[in-house]
Amino acid sequence: MLQTRTRDAVIFQIGIAIFLTILLLMILIPFWRVIVTAVIPLDIYTKEGVPFFLSPTKWTSEAFRQLLTHSMFPRAALNSVIITVLGTAISLFFTVPLAYGLSTRSMPGRKVIMTFVLLTYLFSPGLIPVYLLITGMKLTNNYLAIILPPAVSVYNTLVMMGFFEGLPEELKESARLDGANELQVLLHIILPLSKPILLTIGLFYAVFFWNEFFTPILYLNDSNLTPLPVLLRNILISASFNEYVEYNAFSSSSLESLKSAGVIITMLPMFFIYPWIQRYFTKGTLVGGVKE
Amino acid sequence: MKKWSFVLIAALLVLSQILAACAPVATPTEQVATEAPVVEPTKAPVVEPTKAPVEPTAVPEPTKPPAPVEILLWAQATVTEAGAPPDDWIAYKRILDELNIELTYVIVPTGEDGEAKLNAAAAANDLPDLFQAVSASGDNRGALKRLVDLGLVAPLDDLMPLMPERVKLHYNDPLLISLVTFNGQLYGLPEPPPLPKREGFVIRKDWLDKLNLKVPTTPEELLAVAKAFTEQDPDGNGKNDTYGLGGFLVGQGLGNRFDMLMGAYGVPGIWNFSDPANFGLNVRNSKYPEALAFFKSLVDAKVIDPDWPTLKRDEFRARWKQGLFGIMWEDFAALSNKSNYTPFDENFPNGEWIPVAAPVGPHGDASYGVYTGRGQIFAISQKAADAGKGEAIARLLEWMATDGYYLLGFGEEGVNYIIDANGNISTEGLDPAQAYTSQERQPFTQMRNQLVFYNSPQEITARYPTYNTSNGRLMEPMKFLEFFQAQPWVDGRGIQVILPPANAADFDRFYSEGILQFVLGQKTLNETTWAEYLAGLDALGAADYEATAKQNLIDAGLIE
Repeated sequence: MLQTRTRDAVIFQIGIAIFLTILLLMILIPFWRVIVTAVIPLDIYTKEGVPFFLSPTKWTSEAFRQLLTHSMFPRAALNSVIITVLGTAISLFFTVPLAYGLSTRSMPGRKVIMTFVLLTYLFSPGLIPVYLLITGMKLTNNYLAIILPPAVSVYNTLVMMGFFEGLPEELKESARLDGANELQVLLHIILPLSKPILLTIGLFYAVFFWNEFFTPILYLNDSNLTPLPVLLRNILISASFNEYVEYNAFSSSSLESLKSAGVIITMLPMFFIYPWIQRYFTKGTLVGGVKE
Repeated sequence: MKKWSFVLIAALLVLSQILAACAPVATPTEQVATEAPVVEPTKAPVVEPTKAPVEPTAVPEPTKPPAPVEILLWAQATVTEAGAPPDDWIAYKRILDELNIELTYVIVPTGEDGEAKLNAAAAANDLPDLFQAVSASGDNRGALKRLVDLGLVAPLDDLMPLMPERVKLHYNDPLLISLVTFNGQLYGLPEPPPLPKREGFVIRKDWLDKLNLKVPTTPEELLAVAKAFTEQDPDGNGKNDTYGLGGFLVGQGLGNRFDMLMGAYGVPGIWNFSDPANFGLNVRNSKYPEALAFFKSLVDAKVIDPDWPTLKRDEFRARWKQGLFGIMWEDFAALSNKSNYTPFDENFPNGEWIPVAAPVGPHGDASYGVYTGRGQIFAISQKAADAGKGEAIARLLEWMATDGYYLLGFGEEGVNYIIDANGNISTEGLDPAQAYTSQERQPFTQMRNQLVFYNSPQEITARYPTYNTSNGRLMEPMKFLEFFQAQPWVDGRGIQVILPPANAADFDRFYSEGILQFVLGQKTLNETTWAEYLAGLDALGAADYEATAKQNLIDAGLIE
């Protein structure tokens, strides 16, 4: 009986391992292919396409060089950093009090406000009303046009609210008994305990703002404000229409290599930030999602 | 104190709530800041009338209005990656000094993003003063028509006499003018199409010479040469690694890159523009299956690069540069412009492509393809016209075609370009970083392909200069262009008034897949199967599509 159970457990473990290995390969193979495509020399690409393995001696950083040495790259990267940092800070500034307020059961009108919050989750205002609002507020050519409209995400608010609700009520009560007001409770008791959720939600916002593409196209007419995703798109468009560009057309990298290099460059900052936040990430989302 | 805290949190909550109201769906929510910092736009929205008030004295027309007229221009870039010109661009200063116009130039993205940007502005009645009609599908006329129907675009008839030189150089094609005339009024400024008839049929001369073959003049000869290129090792490397023909699909059916073959049977393109009396889909023509049968013989003989149905343009171009095939259809600049030709030149210093005339088919037909003549269309918003900016915009456009032409197209004479003894634009003796051809200078000539160039010989010579290949041979891109343009083309400019059917996706899929199935041998090509194919098209509304297309052409005065 014991042997059967042990054998079943082993088979189960092997099955899980196989399943996870397949899953891992499904994620890794496309990723690997993007890397190989980014570093493949033009002559090999044109002759053989993209091989699965590339000789360590036959690779080139030409596509990265073309993108990174572009005269507008530093400015575009800086723009993306500004939008990401400012956007994440503003979003957290608004999301934290909203989530805390909604998590405080004694707050007057909590249910009504919650209903309104959920209404915005269910019904989007659409492109034109937002466009009218932004242009009406004279926010064209301003980073705030990118940052303010998505500054509070209901999804993120609900996750954070769940986390706050999961914190022991006794902590807040004891602080209140000691004379702390709600702001002090939030700042001195709740936030120090909320590092996981702040980092998790902050990451959500940061990824969103880092990848912002369409709204900059819509509202940022000044090319000095162009963020990285828009610049990379412009470079790729130029590369794909090189017969119309009479001068200095790309010729030392394939369009596919440029695309892949663009993907890697845009992904790198988040790639490095993610592991650093990961230890908080699981805890943050889980605690927010489970209610005892 | 506790109450105040609640009030503060509640206030923040309400503020957050308002912000949440305008978040995009992607990240679930959003809101509106009630007191978001107001940032002044780069230019004040003061609108000055271009015409000065009429004085009671005898002076009829003051030369300049008292304050600069602000004009906002939205146009696509020539080199999208290069960005817009800087604020201290000399052209801005000259436009202000010479025309009393304060110009703001905004680069609009290409494709769907550009269309969405323009549509958002249109929906908000916030169209710029002068703008380029943008359509992701290339239907610029349709994009303009929709704005005209909404009353957002101003008629331009009164402005045309104010820019005589520009009309002469840019708006001189009656057909293009008629395509942007609605209800008897002109609403669009149709810029000359970027180098019409610029693609053509080319062959590797060095391969022909090595195998002692002649340039093919008929489809059969072409098949024979393609076979020799495939089987007789034309590059002499001892490997069986070449094909006769290369190509890829772009557009419906077989696309336009094999039109010279379809043209040999009198059926290039989708529509039969060459016989207005029998206007309709070319597949109705009895010669169409004959043309497909010939194409199938190329596929069956395995003389065409087998990846052609799935190949992308970039991959196709990489392959001819690696010497994979010796016959193809290519854009003259993509083939022969120095930056594009160099990789081929490095691989095959003695390789040489030469242009080939349209093959003549069994019934005496010969055509290179269909010339659609699609170009950029600009328009003036009704809002700008109501603000009295029309005259100033006409003044600006006329300046771009006269005094400002060289500045906007090439830069400053003596610094960015010179005009040599032959009257050609040159960069000889100039600082390479300052030359108009340099990467650094591209932001300064961003308007050139949209609003400045009109395909003059001087312009084209400057854009596509001659050079020597690595073995010293003189390469003249213009010779390719001239050869291609001299070939017989079908005038298909009327395609701009043909609107896609309501079930365009289904129709196009059936149309294209059916043709591909025949040439790839997935479906037998005979009278019965062809009749079934046509019946399938009819079931998808082909007859109605043809009737509507014909009526649109009649309404536009393009056929009788």
